[in-house]
Amino acid sequence: MWAARRMASAMSASSAALTFELVAKCSTTRARASIMTLPHGPVNLPMFMPVATQASLKGLTPEQLEDTECKLCLNNTYHLGLKPGQEVLDAVGGAHKLQGWDHNILTDSGGFQMVSLLKLANVTEEGVRFLSPHDGTPMLLTPEHSISLQNSIGSDIMMQLDDVLVTTSPDKARMREAMERSIRWLDRCIAAHKNPDRQNLFCIIQGGLDLDMRRECCRGMVARDTPGIAIGGLSGGEAKDDFCRVVGTCTQLLPELKPRYVMGIGYPEDLVVSVALGADMFDCVWPTRTARFGNAVTKFGMLNLRRDVYAADFGPIEEGCGCPCCRPADQEGSMGITRAFVHHNAAKETVAAHLLTMHNVWYQLHLMSGAREAIIADRFPAFVKEFFGRLYPDGQSYPSWAVDALRGVGIDLIQT
Amino acid sequence: MTNESCDKPAVMAFEVLKAAIIDGSAARLGRLALAGRRSIETPNYFAATSRGVVPHMTPDNVNKHLQAGGAYMALEDFIEQPQQVVGTVRSPPIYNAPTTELRPRKLHSFTAMPPSVLTVLGARRIPAVPAPMGNSNSSVSVFTSNGFQNLTTKDYHAAIEALRPDIAVPLADLALGAITPTSKRALRMAERTDEWLKAYFTDLNTDSVLRPHGIATFAPVLPIAYSIQWEYLERLSEDLVPANQISGLAVYDPDVVPDMLNGYTNLTPLARLSLATPSTPQQILRQVSLGLDIFVLPFINAVSDSGIAMTFTFPPPPGEPPLREDGTRTLPLGIDLSTPAYKTSLAPFSPSCTCYTCTKHHAAYVHHLLSAREMLGWTLLQTHNHAVMTSFFTSLRATLAEGQASFNDAIRRFTRVYDTEFPAGTGERPRARGYQFKTEHGAKKMNTKPWKKWDDEKIAAVRKAGIAAKLEKKLAKEAQLANGLEGNGVETPLVPEDDADELDHRGFAKIVSLDDTKDK
Repeated sequence: MWAARRMASAMSASSAALTFELVAKCSTTRARASIMTLPHGPVNLPMFMPVATQASLKGLTPEQLEDTECKLCLNNTYHLGLKPGQEVLDAVGGAHKLQGWDHNILTDSGGFQMVSLLKLANVTEEGVRFLSPHDGTPMLLTPEHSISLQNSIGSDIMMQLDDVLVTTSPDKARMREAMERSIRWLDRCIAAHKNPDRQNLFCIIQGGLDLDMRRECCRGMVARDTPGIAIGGLSGGEAKDDFCRVVGTCTQLLPELKPRYVMGIGYPEDLVVSVALGADMFDCVWPTRTARFGNAVTKFGMLNLRRDVYAADFGPIEEGCGCPCCRPADQEGSMGITRAFVHHNAAKETVAAHLLTMHNVWYQLHLMSGAREAIIADRFPAFVKEFFGRLYPDGQSYPSWAVDALRGVGIDLIQT
Repeated sequence: MTNESCDKPAVMAFEVLKAAIIDGSAARLGRLALAGRRSIETPNYFAATSRGVVPHMTPDNVNKHLQAGGAYMALEDFIEQPQQVVGTVRSPPIYNAPTTELRPRKLHSFTAMPPSVLTVLGARRIPAVPAPMGNSNSSVSVFTSNGFQNLTTKDYHAAIEALRPDIAVPLADLALGAITPTSKRALRMAERTDEWLKAYFTDLNTDSVLRPHGIATFAPVLPIAYSIQWEYLERLSEDLVPANQISGLAVYDPDVVPDMLNGYTNLTPLARLSLATPSTPQQILRQVSLGLDIFVLPFINAVSDSGIAMTFTFPPPPGEPPLREDGTRTLPLGIDLSTPAYKTSLAPFSPSCTCYTCTKHHAAYVHHLLSAREMLGWTLLQTHNHAVMTSFFTSLRATLAEGQASFNDAIRRFTRVYDTEFPAGTGERPRARGYQFKTEHGAKKMNTKPWKKWDDEKIAAVRKAGIAAKLEKKLAKEAQLANGLEGNGVETPLVPEDDADELDHRGFAKIVSLDDTKDK
């Protein structure tokens, strides 16, 4: 069966503010290509969403972010709640207006930052309790607070407040409590959501690394029929095998005609494997953060351009890349950036960070659009092999977790 | 290289379009024409770069959003020796930069400067960091990103030949620092600069190197009394100008210009580039009146860094300025976007401005970005402030074209209507790097420390709640992390700056009673 299994137009589903159209499915793996239409326009899936934490993608203008062909980026509710704050967001008319971004925005719930970064937080049934780091005053952040803020932000996709635990937590009882509480909180979020006609609320599957708990959570969440579904609590230091098992287990249980979002994933290998396992959307600060440390993400692996070997390297950041930094000088919009120039200014002028941010975001977006094209042409397994072959040119040292996970969906990396 | 013609008399043509000295004003209109580039109407300005970039502006943004016709670059920004290579001297990478048809000059190709922007190469940044040891007879002290080093005249000339700037400024012996040089020192400055200029033309033959490479020479005019450097200026006028060896003058002190022009009319047709770092539009206007044509303006970058959007126009708006809160009747030169007044302002910085920032964004966004210390804030300010300078010079030329009388009248009104300084800017600055400045003993920190110790009372209150140890450890760790990661790699700050009341008021979370906290 080598012919592409193109989907009939009947393969689509709509809710008030989201239409999901399944365009193609890989005939070998569980990978899918789709179009998700949101209030600010259509988005091709699978896709990587760059993270504009504080309503700005680390030095890039919205115009430059548009130049990378990005149609959906993230803002963080926690950060926008602190700055500029809800009052300003209401007065300005939401985050799109604030940052001059006419495309889609997804916001997280703020719970992750609260719990993982303000480690003093305690989670109770009411919400997340924490001490104001400013003056020690006890405070409470509830699902209702989070939804109210996300309504003010006006994001096209909002995330429910969930009870996040590190997946590696050994406390089964606590893990179950968190999973069940997340379902109860979803109900509170749905009840508090004021704009279901123009903002989508996604649920988040919890349950740590316990597959049965994940399955139970899937059933509970799916029953609530949100327009999209996220798999949460991952990328917290668990083994990659465990990560793949959880993603693979959940995607099998999720309805076909809803977008599936794996939260906090950004390494290229993780993206490609997760797509093979049937996931559609990803986000991570890593590509933009690592850019600020002078690192370029390329199809041949990571390059730290601060290293002295790049001081007189006049090649593009990545040979063959089409981003405005790398594309050949005779092409429209080419900047003619060399590794030597990035090295010259890395950690010295912010421009070097901006250039690498632009390149890395382009890389991530185009990795996913390449995967999408391969799915549509039904040559995704070959795409996966090419991708891993470039990263591990010896054809041997593939990470075993990737080999195993891909074997589970019908791709054998070792066999040529 | 095919577009560089050898039969032109000078590498760069400067044409004076309109000049008349009346009312003590020597302001003039001119046009700077370089083979292969769009011509530049003067008076005009060039952007000041740092390490080959207009700060905060990627080359695509420079190309799309900046109208500056030229950029000043300092050789000292490119010639640091890597620290790990001890004992060996590595040729700075820029000398090996490949050139392309689009960017046939190494300075251009290395820095990815858009081809439409011409480059000026000087030895030192403007303003330069004073060196602890002075210059010698054959070298100047320059400040690279990893320390001071000597730049010999030979090396500098070799750099010019290799890098091919559009305009080169030969070495000048300058006494940097606050103290005015003694007349003995000043005399030596003139003698050395004269010697170095001779060496410049020996090392860089006009016919075989400068002209075919398309490098125009702007000879330095020193910031010392005319009476001390007249012999040097005379040689410029009598030997170099008739031989078409220099295309312009790089002026470090505009007040020397009137005497110089009285003495040597030969120098009059040369373009005059101001390296005297005016810091306000009023100072620019004064220098224009003294006869300066082109200005390198590092103050634009500094004003952007301080969170200020320029709002002045030339000529100033008609009518009396409105009365301000402090009882004065002047207009500010710019607005401080860090002040809370702009929190929700959806207005552009100035209603008439057509720059990217003013047409696509609003004050509230830039206020937010500055307060969140997001790098884009400074990018948007740079875009706007450079656009304001462009339109300042455009209208300045238009006014000058109407005649000296209306130009002088506009200057008088400008001086009366506007404040004499930019607002200080209450926001935090981007992090300054070692190569930009040297701290002086006892100097105040530019930015306040982000991490402070809590006062005892608050600590005691928290301790009562029985969680102090955990909290302190946590905060100490965060502080450590934040300090270690300062700069480009800094993690987005997570600890709220606002107190609980403010967070509650904003709907971020709500205050609950202390006893409740113990339950869980």
